[in-house]
Amino acid sequence: MTYLAGDARAFIAAVRRELRSMRRYPTVIVASLFWPIVLPGFYVLMGRVYSGNDPRAVAAFAARSGTADYAGFVFVGFAMYMWLSIFLWNPGTLLRQEQLRGSLEAVFLTPASRLVILFGPPVAYLWPVFFQFVVMAVALRVLFGIELSLDALARAAAVIVVGIPSMYALAAFFSTAVLRFGEIGPLVQLVRGTLVLLCGITYPVAMLPGWAQTAAAAVPTTYIVQDVRRVLLARAGIGAVVGDLGLTLAFAAVFAGLAVISYRWIERDARRRGTMGTY
Amino acid sequence: MAAELRAAWAIALKDLRIVFRYALWVPSMIFNPLYQGIIPAFLFGTSFAVGGRQLGLAASIGTPDLAGFLFMGGAVSGVVGVAFWTMGMSLRSEMDMGTLEPSWLTPTRRETLVIGRAVQGVLITGVVQAALFAIGIAFFGLRLRWDALRALPAMAVMLAALLGVGFLVAAMVLLAREANFLVDTTNFLFGMLSGIAFPITVLPLALQAVAVLLPTTWAIEILRADAIGARTILDVRLEHLILVASAAVLVPLGLWAFRSADAYVRVHGTIGQH
Amino acid sequence: MMGPAVRTVGLTKEFERGRRTMWQRLRREPDRRDRFRAVDGIDLEVQAGEIFGVLGPNGAGKSTTLKMLATLLEPTSGEAEVLGIDVRRHPREVRAHLGAMLSGERSLYWKLTGRENLEYFAALYHVPPRETRARIDGALEEVHLSDRAEDYVERYSTGMRQRLALARALLPDPPLLILDEPTLGLDPQAARDLRERVRALRRQGRTVLLTTHYMEEADQLCDRIAIVDHGRVVALDTPSALKRGRRAQEAARLRVERIETEAVPATLEDVFLSLTGSALRE
Repeated sequence: MTYLAGDARAFIAAVRRELRSMRRYPTVIVASLFWPIVLPGFYVLMGRVYSGNDPRAVAAFAARSGTADYAGFVFVGFAMYMWLSIFLWNPGTLLRQEQLRGSLEAVFLTPASRLVILFGPPVAYLWPVFFQFVVMAVALRVLFGIELSLDALARAAAVIVVGIPSMYALAAFFSTAVLRFGEIGPLVQLVRGTLVLLCGITYPVAMLPGWAQTAAAAVPTTYIVQDVRRVLLARAGIGAVVGDLGLTLAFAAVFAGLAVISYRWIERDARRRGTMGTY
Repeated sequence: MAAELRAAWAIALKDLRIVFRYALWVPSMIFNPLYQGIIPAFLFGTSFAVGGRQLGLAASIGTPDLAGFLFMGGAVSGVVGVAFWTMGMSLRSEMDMGTLEPSWLTPTRRETLVIGRAVQGVLITGVVQAALFAIGIAFFGLRLRWDALRALPAMAVMLAALLGVGFLVAAMVLLAREANFLVDTTNFLFGMLSGIAFPITVLPLALQAVAVLLPTTWAIEILRADAIGARTILDVRLEHLILVASAAVLVPLGLWAFRSADAYVRVHGTIGQH
Repeated sequence: MMGPAVRTVGLTKEFERGRRTMWQRLRREPDRRDRFRAVDGIDLEVQAGEIFGVLGPNGAGKSTTLKMLATLLEPTSGEAEVLGIDVRRHPREVRAHLGAMLSGERSLYWKLTGRENLEYFAALYHVPPRETRARIDGALEEVHLSDRAEDYVERYSTGMRQRLALARALLPDPPLLILDEPTLGLDPQAARDLRERVRALRRQGRTVLLTTHYMEEADQLCDRIAIVDHGRVVALDTPSALKRGRRAQEAARLRVERIETEAVPATLEDVFLSLTGSALRE
């Protein structure tokens, strides 16, 4: 068996192991029904208070966000938030757990490419992400009576598919940071928090101060969130967002490169100090 | 009694020491509510502003003071967090670390072990809230009024009621398998239904029925009325009365639940055993 | 002190295997779970001033027995008195007079210093404030940690942590100490040192009830030993009497036949294996 074929099989094994470990935690499934409904629902109710049924307030929101439909706006934002937090959190956390348990060292003893465990696990999380999208679309319709047309959904799906590589690369990059700095390190928390604030989950990015808007433009998630809203809520065509999509692909390449470089660096550093398991 | 008080203080002191030894904990305690609650809610709110005025909010609650509305809700939500995380969930963390058992082996009452944590939680929350208010004044246009002090008695009653809630959560934590998930979700729902981010009148009726039973619902009402002049749902005197009544029910209820859970654990063994 | 330090009569603890769902509880379905006896009628009498060892394979019921004596678990039936106090009726009083070390080094706060750990537990043990300092200094002295008292526990070795846990158990100035596998995971030097601490406790007139997996340790340390299996006491005597006993002779004979050599005196391990079998217990 060539190394490449071996790595491909190792890759699939890593994905399957991840899927299995997900199944063993039943609360994960309950949580993936609870949060995608309750969190955006919370903000929609807030929106009711802020709009106060005053058409002038709703018009002001529409002028800033591109849609008067604040429920849809919030739900799309949180769908992206769930995606982002699953991708940025779970693969890194699991890698960290392996590191603490010592099983990461065992993986490093095998001839499989080190990159397999970096890029394998996020694939497993595509399924729960998809599941949450469906839950949220259903909740939006049942609880708030907002229907999304099929062709708008198809365009949103296209934006999301094109966005996957960049989210994926970001996840891998983040995992390396978790390996180095520890999982619950407040530093990691801070980075995640800032990232979430920048991409405008519950508000239009235009509400941020100028410097923060500049920073937001350097993160792929900002474009994905914005474009999904445009095609889904403002009924824009794919043509209107194609430039952004190209940008997110470019981001994907950059972050994937960064992930590989930092991962190699961490590994070499660990080998020199003999401490893969004891950060 | 004096020995129990000393024990409670020793518990608070021990937790405070540990908190301050993790250098980054305190800043993250200030940052988390900012990025998870206040900033997203504030920017969402300001995106409804018409010519810089919160017309919609004023129509809903009787005042356009968005910052005051959110920061007061946030303060109560911080104290709710003490009941759920500091009093409740930390029991489980100590159980997992192995440090709960030696405390359980001392003659100190188990209720005292929980109360000591509450003392520490309230002290830290006080510091964190002061920092958050300072940030609010500096960056969000928050203005604090002396009238807010009139809500202090109501806040004291709320703390007592939350002590009862904390004991209920501690009981749940002793018995539940997936305590982390349970505490996370119930804490969120408790805050949401208390109206930390909106008056409970926007909730669906079934949820309003639950909301009126929570002490924090009325504490937030009273605090917002005094601090930012928000409209109240009921007469303020009646709201005070309900708050006191809920504390009178919750404290004995919480203690009873906690003692029962403790007895259950002693008969059946703790989670993970056998 | 008059009377035995520990006395149990027919002490029993039953657990259910598996769990009942909330749904089953709400519908009041009959409880179909297996019940098993972790401790099945143990009679013990530990005399004041002795070191009493409880030996047994994994899952024999040693720790469950100790936890019942320490009031962490409620017995299903039977009686238990610690220092003449009924563990079911007056659990807090028992805890006020008992020093216990059940889970050792894991049970400390790593981000506190050794002294801070003891200060915290002294308050929980209701040590009067005037005495606290002297009591902590004495306990630290006792376990030879005085010079490292101001270090964070995370910088301690396993043996030091174990000794600090022992110091904590000494805080209430207890006439009786209960130690669950005190030397588990220690290197030979640290284990020997800890055994020496335990002997010192006896010299001070304290009673020690301990469990261990190490036969040699039990042999050297204990005045009397109870061998426990499947929740029952299967043998109880002094180490030398156990080795002289009938089964011990059988064990020794077997061993002698096997290795075809001259008579070798039975070890405690021979006795233990002949009583509890040599099958693995996991």
